[in-house]
Amino acid sequence: MTGCQHRWDMDNIKFGFLVFERCFHCHDLRTFFTENAPPAIGDEYREGDCHWYCAENAQTFSFDLRCTECGHIETFHDLMGLLHCTGCIPECRIDIMQKTLEAEKTWLVVAFGFLPREEGKPYPEEKIDILTDYFNQRRDTSRSRIKVVSYDLINDISMCRGELIHDIGMLSEEKVTNRKSLF
Amino acid sequence: MTTKEIVEKLGLKALNEYEEREITGVFVSDMISDVMAGAKSGNLWLTIQTHKSIVSAANLVDSSAIIISGGKEVPKETADLASKYMIAVLLSDLTTFELVGKLYKLGLGQ
Repeated sequence: MTGCQHRWDMDNIKFGFLVFERCFHCHDLRTFFTENAPPAIGDEYREGDCHWYCAENAQTFSFDLRCTECGHIETFHDLMGLLHCTGCIPECRIDIMQKTLEAEKTWLVVAFGFLPREEGKPYPEEKIDILTDYFNQRRDTSRSRIKVVSYDLINDISMCRGELIHDIGMLSEEKVTNRKSLF
Repeated sequence: MTTKEIVEKLGLKALNEYEEREITGVFVSDMISDVMAGAKSGNLWLTIQTHKSIVSAANLVDSSAIIISGGKEVPKETADLASKYMIAVLLSDLTTFELVGKLYKLGLGQ
């Protein structure tokens, strides 16, 4: 494996659901992936002092990346999803970076770990680099490139109205400025 | 076969400015997760979805173009995002089934 110039391919693909739960009591948000039928939006249950309800769910998938050269497998079970930045927070580091990269035809995508995550803790850098490599290896990079960054660069996640690249709100015609943050 | 040739042969309406691409195959799905997991670079994506998230997904997997079937109206923000990425958003009044048949006859498979 050492010295291998990895060529990544998706492996161990599992289709399921991404669930967003929020607590009425402390307003915490948590997300998880399940291969089972998801709770209906609004479903509630108690857990200690918390009173959780299902705020949103969406079809999604989980995957690993496997190197076709050496067989090394990198797991991405901790990846909640990828987000398209809508430029909703003018001074957000993500938006500033996005505008700079666009001039080089490099499209920025934000990787999210499942929530909650320790405050300020980024999605692991080595996995970010592998995702960037994977998406570039599978595209014609003479036209454009992909750059994946970690969600901890978002200035205020609770204000973020970026769009998760998921089957979520697909029938919504709501404008970004009117939308509530998912987070 | 290229995106421009497909537009001409199938009588598609292009909603935005786009970059001419070689089409490597066809992927049919209305689920973004399905496309992200299965579509290949240069694939033509057939869907009935019109939300702008389809453009983000198409860009991520390096799709050559999106064909929206069934004569759907497409929001302006979907076309605007596609213009930024120079991915063709193409409209057809035909159903997905009819389009797949025509694409297959043109020699485009997976």
